[in-house]
Amino acid sequence: MLQAGDWAFVLDNLDYLLIGVGVTGTLTLAALAVGFLLGFPAGALEVYGDGLLARVVSTSGVLLRGTPIVVIMLVLFFVVSISQSAFVTAAVGLGLRSAAYQSQIFRGALQSVDEGQLEAARAIGMSRFEAIRHVVVPQALRRSMPGFQNEFTIVLKDTSIAFAIGLAELLTRGYDLFTQSGRSTAVLEVFLVISAIYFVLTFTTNRGLDWLADYYAIPSGENR
Amino acid sequence: MSAEEPTVADEVRTTIDVDTDRPWAWLGLAVFWGWLLVRWVNDFLLPASVAVPGDQSFFPAAPFASAAESLAGTAASLGVVGVPLDFVAGLLSFVAGAIPSFPALARGAWLTIVLTVAGIALGFPIAVVLSVARVYGGRGLRWLSLSYTELIRGTPLLAQLFVLYFGLPLTQIVREIPGVGSGFIPGTAALVAILGFTINSAAYQAEYIRSALESVDAGQLTAARSIGLSKREGIRYVVLPQGLRYAIPGWSNELVYLIKYSSLAAFITVRELFFQAESIANDTFQYTELYVLAGLFYIALVVSASVLMGVVEDRTAIPGLGGTR
Amino acid sequence: MTLLRVENVDKSYGDEEVLNGVSFEMDRGDVDVLMGPSGSGKSTMLRCINRLTDVDSGDIWLDDTDVTAPETDVNALRQDVGMVFQDFNLFAHLTALENITLGLKRVRGIPESEARDTAMDHLDQVGLAAQADSYPAELSGGQQQRVGIARALAMEPKLMLFDEPTSALDPELVGEVVDVMADLAAGGMTMLVVSHEMGFAQSAADDIHFLDNGRIVESGPPEQLFERPEHDRTEAFLTGLQSGEHR
Repeated sequence: MLQAGDWAFVLDNLDYLLIGVGVTGTLTLAALAVGFLLGFPAGALEVYGDGLLARVVSTSGVLLRGTPIVVIMLVLFFVVSISQSAFVTAAVGLGLRSAAYQSQIFRGALQSVDEGQLEAARAIGMSRFEAIRHVVVPQALRRSMPGFQNEFTIVLKDTSIAFAIGLAELLTRGYDLFTQSGRSTAVLEVFLVISAIYFVLTFTTNRGLDWLADYYAIPSGENR
Repeated sequence: MSAEEPTVADEVRTTIDVDTDRPWAWLGLAVFWGWLLVRWVNDFLLPASVAVPGDQSFFPAAPFASAAESLAGTAASLGVVGVPLDFVAGLLSFVAGAIPSFPALARGAWLTIVLTVAGIALGFPIAVVLSVARVYGGRGLRWLSLSYTELIRGTPLLAQLFVLYFGLPLTQIVREIPGVGSGFIPGTAALVAILGFTINSAAYQAEYIRSALESVDAGQLTAARSIGLSKREGIRYVVLPQGLRYAIPGWSNELVYLIKYSSLAAFITVRELFFQAESIANDTFQYTELYVLAGLFYIALVVSASVLMGVVEDRTAIPGLGGTR
Repeated sequence: MTLLRVENVDKSYGDEEVLNGVSFEMDRGDVDVLMGPSGSGKSTMLRCINRLTDVDSGDIWLDDTDVTAPETDVNALRQDVGMVFQDFNLFAHLTALENITLGLKRVRGIPESEARDTAMDHLDQVGLAAQADSYPAELSGGQQQRVGIARALAMEPKLMLFDEPTSALDPELVGEVVDVMADLAAGGMTMLVVSHEMGFAQSAADDIHFLDNGRIVESGPPEQLFERPEHDRTEAFLTGLQSGEHR
């Protein structure tokens, strides 16, 4: 099942696979950025807004969170046809999905900041907007870190689903490698190597984000 | 590792909280499940002489199509005023185009539900073992459990399915098992998919259960031991009953997740809901109808799951214990 | 001269009448204490004065500003009225110093270096200059409350409202906060205090108002209320307070 010759085959083609890592990485960052830019305002709107816009945002979120990512990508590619480029389509699809989930992360974090903080800010004369901006948001962003770390990993792994629209990211390249080269015995080796690469990616980003969270953390004392 | 790992119990509830006061929500779900059950009974249980043929929808498409046409005609003659009519015509034409695919999608939905339920149900006992090993086990056991969950949660589900289906000679082995593919028993590819979902789901469920167990105050086990229960009994009769209730939000997440990601089984030739939608769309080029319909099906399933988990949570709630709803 | 005029204020939450025809006045430099059983509307009264809550009817005048008028600039009003909370409500993500400079910079528009100097002065005034760079979670309850007082003072208010400032403190920490409040009173600040701290009421208060079920039952200087109360309810409450019944 596992053969030395097959491992050698994978090693020879490692550069081909590693370009896939680049695509995967870029796609992940692009999707997360879209997710943040849309998700944070959406979450804030759900907490502080009311009226039609808030309801539209909330319903869109429900729809995006209830639909499989593969369906979202295919709809964007074939039905809406937002772009010829599989990369752009995948980035938008993953970005929209991520925005829907990030909005919930931020909504929860904003709601978890004690009412009293907002009151105290208003009591010294800040307007509602200033109070939210200078007192609630900085605390909410810090509280969002665990959820955001989780989301990072999820998006990273979901980039593999761009397989469905033929984007040459890591998993697709692995699939192409053993189907196109006719080296079908190397299947297991290829996918094990790819899984290992994904694991390294998720592991390092998690540790990196852990470090980032510690760096920006607010010191908590023992004598409360 | 930082002092406090982001536990999944800290995660915001990402299930779909449906406003169940809305009557149309209940009505919609009732219609959906009613039709689905009738269709399944028709396709799987009724003898061929009585049943509606498997490729024929219960509903006729022609009336919708002709209504769409006439409305479109009226709209065109009315000019700008006719825009809303045109919209309705578009909807009717959408419905007409979608109707013929209903039977196939219903069959796909059945497989989707089987994959999901089997994956979670089979993954659960494995997850309990993993989480107990992680929380209460010795160094070796803890390390093993941790490695399993980290490896599975750190790699994409699709890659895991590919390893199982293409990489290992599982299909050859499974195919030989008697009964595979006949009657209610799913075919080879579906069984491999179930295996994949089981392995995957076990890792995620283990994390939810682990953090739920850790939420149970340490004093509970101490008190249990002080009345003479062994550690194992204490875990079983005192900690787990509380911990499992804390884990319910996590399960809701996992159920919703698996419903959506069961769509990946299509890539290993399982004829579930997404596969059906995609193959019909590729044949008829009706991408819009099929993918939107597939999306609606999934949303209906997800909403149903959320409602179900909400009921479970309410039924098992004990005052003062958990309750994040 | 009159700084605060509360006239016939009514406030209900649903069916519950929390304030019922409450009226009183405070001159500049007065230190008044609101006392009464829980639920008698004392905190609500304070929050009506800085418009954290709106009255149902009645008038409140701060100097020549009509507090209750809809067109009044609420944010400007709140710079003139300082509030100290039972739960401190310090901004958890900012140091003690930054808790004070935030308002100075964002609300009063004071540049950074000047804001820091002013903030340090106020921290010094409450005895916490050494804790300027500590975060709230690193401070004791008494220290947090003193920072809260400094934060409110930094806005240079005409009136200071205290909503049960020591109720959330361990007994041994109460003293340091009461000392700061007494210094403030001696320095001429106009203060309206909701509190069960009888020591402070007896020594520092000019007038005590006893509230029960949303009405002022009795008002008067400490000697009157504590030694010769006119109403039975007042006497019952204060006796209970002395014997530690009420918290």
